[in-house]
Amino acid sequence: MTVIIGLETHVQLPTKSKIFCGCKNIVTFEKEPEPNTVTCETCIGLPGAKPQVNSQVIEFGTRIALALECKINNTFSFSRKTYFYPDMGKNFQITQHTIPLGSHGKLLVDGKLIRITRVHVEEDPARLVHIGGVGGSHVLVDYNRSGTPLVEIVTEPDMTSPEQARAYLATLTQVLQYLGVYDPSTKAVLKSDANISLKGGARVEIKNITGEKEVFEALRFEMMRQKNLSKQGKRTIQETRLWNPELSVTQELRTKETEEDYGYIPEGDLTPITLEQRIILKEKQQLPELPAQKYKRYQRDYKVAPKLAEALLADPQLAVLFEAASKKIDSKLAATWIAGPLKKTLNWNNRRLEQTDITVASFVSVLKLFNSRKLTDRNAEMLIRYLVAEGGQPETLIKKHQLTGSGTDLDKVIKTVIKNNPKAARDVTNGVAKALNFLIGMVMKETKGTVDANTVRKALEKALR
Amino acid sequence: MGMPQTLVQLRTELKKGNRSSFYAKLSKELDQLNRKYHVLLERTEPSHTGSGPLAGIPVSVKDCLCVKDVPSAAGSEILKGYIPPFDATAVTKVKNAGGVIIGKTAQDEFGFGSFSVNTNIVPKNPHDPTRSCGGSSGGAAALTAALSVPHLALAESTGGSIACPASFCGVVGMTPTYGLVSRYGLIDYANSLDKIGVITKSVADAELGLSVIRGYDPRDQTSLDKKIPPVPKRIVLGVPKEYFETVDSAVAAAVWDTIKKLEAAGIPYKKVSLTATKYALAAYYIIATAEASTNLAKYCGMRYGQAAPLEQREMNEYFSAVRSTYFSSEAKRRIMLGTFARMAGFRDKYFLQAQKVRTLVIQDFKKVFKNVSVLVTPTMPVIAPTFAEIEQMSPVQHYAMDVLTVGPNLAGLPHLSVPCGTVKNMPVGIQIIGDHLTEATVFSLGKCV
Repeated sequence: MTVIIGLETHVQLPTKSKIFCGCKNIVTFEKEPEPNTVTCETCIGLPGAKPQVNSQVIEFGTRIALALECKINNTFSFSRKTYFYPDMGKNFQITQHTIPLGSHGKLLVDGKLIRITRVHVEEDPARLVHIGGVGGSHVLVDYNRSGTPLVEIVTEPDMTSPEQARAYLATLTQVLQYLGVYDPSTKAVLKSDANISLKGGARVEIKNITGEKEVFEALRFEMMRQKNLSKQGKRTIQETRLWNPELSVTQELRTKETEEDYGYIPEGDLTPITLEQRIILKEKQQLPELPAQKYKRYQRDYKVAPKLAEALLADPQLAVLFEAASKKIDSKLAATWIAGPLKKTLNWNNRRLEQTDITVASFVSVLKLFNSRKLTDRNAEMLIRYLVAEGGQPETLIKKHQLTGSGTDLDKVIKTVIKNNPKAARDVTNGVAKALNFLIGMVMKETKGTVDANTVRKALEKALR
Repeated sequence: MGMPQTLVQLRTELKKGNRSSFYAKLSKELDQLNRKYHVLLERTEPSHTGSGPLAGIPVSVKDCLCVKDVPSAAGSEILKGYIPPFDATAVTKVKNAGGVIIGKTAQDEFGFGSFSVNTNIVPKNPHDPTRSCGGSSGGAAALTAALSVPHLALAESTGGSIACPASFCGVVGMTPTYGLVSRYGLIDYANSLDKIGVITKSVADAELGLSVIRGYDPRDQTSLDKKIPPVPKRIVLGVPKEYFETVDSAVAAAVWDTIKKLEAAGIPYKKVSLTATKYALAAYYIIATAEASTNLAKYCGMRYGQAAPLEQREMNEYFSAVRSTYFSSEAKRRIMLGTFARMAGFRDKYFLQAQKVRTLVIQDFKKVFKNVSVLVTPTMPVIAPTFAEIEQMSPVQHYAMDVLTVGPNLAGLPHLSVPCGTVKNMPVGIQIIGDHLTEATVFSLGKCV
């Protein structure tokens, strides 16, 4: 049974101010501000207040639309989407309905083209705080979020599996990161609604999915639910369902009969905006190299294996380090160490590269020491850990942590230990396990623990074979 | 102090005369007038410190314009007691020009009406208190007519709400080109139609008032940053035949008398035709109510205005309780009409069709302005009706009152209503409609009437 999936993804944009007023955008805040302190007459919707379009939102939106190869609609407009909800100051949302910023785009995901229907910008509503949980005693409204700029990216129903939807979202997220309009380490929220149907069946919309893993889980659940219905001879009804991440299920929200009619009309307070060609051109020229292009180039120019290229790309900062390091040292070596130990250590410490003291020069110097066998790979890895966790320069850390033990030293120590313990050495050859452990201990003692036991074991076994 | 006839004369008198005694007298007069005609919803104590083109001039503000720290509810019950924390741009400009705010004038709730009867406090016509002063800026026109001194009233028109009461009360009402005056701080009726203008005793006063409040405002993206061209040497009037078809014959005669007088004074006229006129009224009510239904969505008892007891189990029930209790039946009618016109399935047939008609209306005007400088028509098809007559009217008959004003309002054209005689001792107004941004020409002709 063929599954048909389309995604609508909303991302909060990190502009300086909100989309329709001069209030600061709380997405860029380090600390959550006190409720209702970042508001004005416009973003809380007081009678008489009017919106003004923030040009930075248009720039970011244009950049995204261009990166997704959309047709940019030089003149676009805003509309009112009317529905009653306590998180909406005006009980209508200013969004783009008739003419979005961009349309007819595409994104290549694992070799498959996913068509982008439209890219548009709109305002985020206020945040509701349910006291005592949903259905609890009461709800508080925090308008700090009201007016946060959102971009919405809508695909055609081009995905055919939950896996593909996950891959699409991963690719899209990466593109947004490269464009500098989304940073997963900040509070910016990336949320999706998914449409899913079995071929010939009714379409179900799933709301409120955050993240790649959730998209996969929500769609897999919903696919199974619809398939089970079909097996039981029942039909899927057209409805909107809500993803419940705690229970990992989709739950009924509303059926077609109770579906809202948003009664879109043009936003009379905002005249249609005509984008100057020079702004489009500027954004086009400033468009960074995107992950898909980098992926190709890394394999072609640096001969990096596809898996490594992917790992490097996943973090734009690592990609930058890799490209710079490749100018000074063998690119395959750089790729292996950046995508391997460095990335692992950063993840382990929950840090980004820019939050450490590591520079291109310091990282290259570590690799050079390793390459000239002045550092064992164990020690090189230890050094990277210290660089990430403690900060500072490689030379200082090598001294401080006595990371001088090298490959040649280990061979020498092993030779001496075997020579000084001939009986134990013979026992090992005769298969006495305890004897090997004794020798390992002796070597470890001599090398003061700078070499890990496993490396010693291997080296001893080799020497005694 | 002499008897000043214009705002400029009053300003000069105030400069040399005793201001505090003037304001004390004014206060007393306002109290008196308010008891008789119910023109003001809120009073602010007049006091004067500023300088500028309106130095010391008493200025009233239609209730739908926000005045900081003064209750502003657009004549509605649902927003009663709302105190804006900011001034509308037009109000800021008046204050900066030295104007003295004297209070908020009565109006139809949110501007929904032509007689100022769709509200709790109904203003009366100073020429005959058994008659309506028109609407929706009824209080503004009645106050201007009744006051013994010149005064500037800030008013607002969506479909004729400045011209209509000006005509019924025998004063001057100027509705400028859409976008000429910033709408920031205006409690919206229909955003693509709303225009802030002025009501005064004379054309010169209207010209002065408009010169103060006009100008581009970055806080209103629809406001214009354009210059007004000078008055052309030769003015030719256009008289559109469709604008006389539904008009009371005595009113039409008074307007024709004026046209003939102007002709005698050397301003010729041509008969013209505006063929889209008959569709304008229907298009207007669809667009205006569709927009209004979204503007009024925010009045749900959450953060300002009236609230309902919290006995409802669910938020939609609460919103409904507030809205059904505090909106008048006319507001409810317009919300329902407007919501219907923009619903999926009806949107194409009504809302989008009305937008097309609006384009036709604009093209219609643009075409005739190639041959004539301005158009002259009656402002209203009748003289001010009595309250008894109004009670007999159906909503559709009520809406039909706007037949002569909706055209220029749909097209966003400047139009001026100037008194031009009387019928049954009640004032009649002549409407002068100009092309976009030809305010100077419209005023110059207004002065000839």
